[in-house]
Amino acid sequence: MTVNVKKALAISQEDFVKFREFFYRKTGIQFEDSKRYFVDKRLIERIEATGAENFRDYFINLRFQSSSDELQQLVNVMTVNETYFFREEYQLKCLVNHMLEDVVRRKRDTSPIRIWSMPSSSGEEPYSIAMYLLENWKGINEWDVELIASDIDTAILDRARRGIYSPRSVHNLPSALLEKHFRPLASGDYQISDELRQSVEFSRVNLMSATDVRQYRGFDVIFCRNLLIYFDDLSRRQAADTFFDALNPGGMICLGHSESMSRISSLFVVRKFPDAIVYQKPLEGR
Amino acid sequence: MALLRNTSTDIRQEIPAEDAASLLAKLWDESATTRRLVARDLARFPEASHRLAERLEEESDSSVREAIITSLAALADITAVTALIDCLHSEDAALRNDAIEGLKTAGGLYPSLIQEALQDGDPDVRILAIGVLESLRHPDVEQWLIDLLDHDAHLNVCACAVDLLCEIGSGRAIPALERCSERFPNEEYLHFAVGLAIQRLQGEGTL
Repeated sequence: MTVNVKKALAISQEDFVKFREFFYRKTGIQFEDSKRYFVDKRLIERIEATGAENFRDYFINLRFQSSSDELQQLVNVMTVNETYFFREEYQLKCLVNHMLEDVVRRKRDTSPIRIWSMPSSSGEEPYSIAMYLLENWKGINEWDVELIASDIDTAILDRARRGIYSPRSVHNLPSALLEKHFRPLASGDYQISDELRQSVEFSRVNLMSATDVRQYRGFDVIFCRNLLIYFDDLSRRQAADTFFDALNPGGMICLGHSESMSRISSLFVVRKFPDAIVYQKPLEGR
Repeated sequence: MALLRNTSTDIRQEIPAEDAASLLAKLWDESATTRRLVARDLARFPEASHRLAERLEEESDSSVREAIITSLAALADITAVTALIDCLHSEDAALRNDAIEGLKTAGGLYPSLIQEALQDGDPDVRILAIGVLESLRHPDVEQWLIDLLDHDAHLNVCACAVDLLCEIGSGRAIPALERCSERFPNEEYLHFAVGLAIQRLQGEGTL
């Protein structure tokens, strides 16, 4: 009798380094040695899911697959999507109390104000912005606002479009807003209102892909919070360049509380508002 | 007025990627915005290093220069790294600082070029090259700094090397630090910095 015992998959240090370089070139995301366990676990998941015999077979398929489907699957499992509604609320306050007034003062026509949320993750950030505008910004009666939300992870974008959230995701929301903008589901989760779901355009974007970002222009405000911490120095500079070109002159970008544009690029000027510090594209050429 | 979904096709519309020849032709465009976007796009083409380096020499717009430097750092071939090192000679502080940032990632691929910069005739260039070493991932960085301590005639260059060794050095650098202190017998500041560095590298004190 023959017994087939499947050998346990393992990722060697050499495999890890090879994979890390490949993934970095494709996405700009750099995994330090301390992330080894996180990376190995997810790589093995994908090797098993694709039926590959070992890392080598899987890696060959990944590199030479013309459709990039497996790369996208890998991106989906390797990216972190932990967030919640009204996270770092001081920046939302800054948006409605100061930044948008600044944007409106400069506008010379009635075209919509454009806001880009990148990465959108499962939608908590762009929907928080939408709610904040509706609830707290008087200008919403006078101006149209376009909200575009992007992420590299297609699975998370599908979740964002569905707009269904756990109690943990909405724990920071005032109960009045939860009642007003969400519908409780039998599962105990909450689904955000159709009105809000329809007000945000979700799109897949790899910030490191020149082709992906070329169309992203004419934004007045960008939220890019807690993404650049996963990038290395060069990718951060390239991302800063992308945001600079995506913004209108005078447009502003909000980063996460532990991130600083001043350490990445000298293109932006610091704007200190009472609620938050943001980074602004100069009005005229520097 | 309200929240609007983006109904225009701007973000869904694929803009065809231009080839290198077409982009290079626009690198001398009158519009700084065009030059900047072209410079960024050229990071995809290894053959673009030479022309990017040429453009950098005459570019006056700082946002275009920053884009060129980032693209050169991404291309990271010998032409690109040489162009970045040449910027260390510039009178323009912003350009020098941008070049240092670029070299921190790209410089490690051509250690001999960084070593040459550490032996440049201009002490300011040597000091800037030490700034590059701060984040350079190369196993010989400590040895290069030790060599400076033993041979560089300029006090400020040695002082910068001492400061950096204090951060990234090991006990191996201690004899060179002592020799350097002896080479400049009347420089109290250097003696103080060397003392701190030795203390740190011996693990005897907290800075």
